[in-house]
Amino acid sequence: MPDVWIAGAGMTRFGKREENLPDLVAEAARAALAAARLEAPDLVVVAAMNPEEFIGEGNFASQIATHLGFAHVPALRVETATSSGAAAVYTAFAVVAAGLSRSVLVVGGEKMTHLPTPRVSEIIGRSIDRDERAYGATMPALAGLITRVLLAKTGVTLKEISQVSVKNHAHGALNPYAHFQEPVTLAAVMESRIVADPLRLYHCCPISDGAAALVLSADRTPVRIAGIGHGTDTLAVRYRDSLVSFRATQDAARAAYRMAGFGPERVEVAEVHDAFSPFELIALEDLGLVPAGKAGAATLRGETALEGRLPVNPSGGLKARGHPLAATGIAQIVELVWQLLGQAHGRQVAARVGLAHSIGGLATNNWVTLLERVS
Amino acid sequence: MSEKIPAARCPRCGRVVAPPTRFCPDHPVALEPASIDGYGEVVSFTTLHSPPEGFRSPLHIALVALDDGARLFCHGAGTRGIRVGSRVAVEAVDAVYYFSHLGLVERARLFWRRAGARGETVTSIAKSAAKRLWRGGRGAGA
Repeated sequence: MPDVWIAGAGMTRFGKREENLPDLVAEAARAALAAARLEAPDLVVVAAMNPEEFIGEGNFASQIATHLGFAHVPALRVETATSSGAAAVYTAFAVVAAGLSRSVLVVGGEKMTHLPTPRVSEIIGRSIDRDERAYGATMPALAGLITRVLLAKTGVTLKEISQVSVKNHAHGALNPYAHFQEPVTLAAVMESRIVADPLRLYHCCPISDGAAALVLSADRTPVRIAGIGHGTDTLAVRYRDSLVSFRATQDAARAAYRMAGFGPERVEVAEVHDAFSPFELIALEDLGLVPAGKAGAATLRGETALEGRLPVNPSGGLKARGHPLAATGIAQIVELVWQLLGQAHGRQVAARVGLAHSIGGLATNNWVTLLERVS
Repeated sequence: MSEKIPAARCPRCGRVVAPPTRFCPDHPVALEPASIDGYGEVVSFTTLHSPPEGFRSPLHIALVALDDGARLFCHGAGTRGIRVGSRVAVEAVDAVYYFSHLGLVERARLFWRRAGARGETVTSIAKSAAKRLWRGGRGAGA
């Protein structure tokens, strides 16, 4: 299989944004194209989880292509709930690896903050099984159930979970693209209001607007996509035997490591899907980055902080950078590209290999992408 | 006495799902209808203080693993005394499943029912022993 390279990366600042979604997408796309020194790609892959409901727009790939001045560049849209951005990267990777296109613009974004929070929760909640939704199961409710089992069965403590939020806010404070650029204290996290007992507000990512973009190329650049893997699981959470690990992550990681020809031991920086802080601890173990049962203690010891053995979410993660759904899977890879190229000003870590992990729905459709700097 | 929960069983892998669905989530195989007991163990539970529209606050949600295999989402009147692993009964009220803590009486009754034929033997032995005691007592008094 021919190598696939990353030629450019760009994103908007995440947070409450006045611009409409096509303009946010265009801002990110232009930044990535400029970094790649490319005027027009051979293909545009657009990621948007639900523009139909959030902004009342359909046929979104064509809309974005025309808005970008690429009306006659082929464009398509990819959707796998909250991992849509990572799925779009996979699609573009496959197209370039197959030799169908030499350069592909991948761009994803979401506009959500103009809607009231209950409405946003309801729209996101439609990615949950119908029979579970009928009992009031929202994403925070399911995360609350998972957190309860983690505390009861694995020895993970609420303090360890809360430290994930503290760490990611500290990282976000160094990232000018982050939704939240202020640190929080452990006490503030542990005393924040209960959302889905035992899960509290500061264990949950915010609702954000924003967009992120990459240019993938058949032509050699300093950063290669070394491996990319996809894993899935039942839509219904009640069909799963375990709530303390995500099979979709484990399967995606296995596939990505197999393609790359190396394992977690070579990963030096990771962007993981901390939509809820306990999910970061689950991810570290599912990805093999930390031995089973050790993620909480490793986090408390600072191993996953910027200056630690394995920096995790140097961008601030979903918790602090923000989570404009379909932008997130792409923004994780944008951050890794900047980290590998030494362009992550103010939060730079030393790394040649980075891992991005994206969760779709309640871990029904997950992705793991491995990037490698090749000098 | 126990509530029967409509479910479905996969003829290939034996997986039991509730509510019943047409196909197994793991195989493209039509499921067979099944009816299972409304007793099980709490897998997890949570309380929402700002539940979605249409639900009363606070909303208590539990995921219950029924003894016959399926897992089910339920509502509850409260979570006082409930832990991960607690024994609960599940019953439908107006087509919504509710969990409730299994008290000592319900647990004993469940044990008896589970014991089946052996339980009946034990019951009849106990009954005749009680009768003998009662007759014996009367005899002594006469």
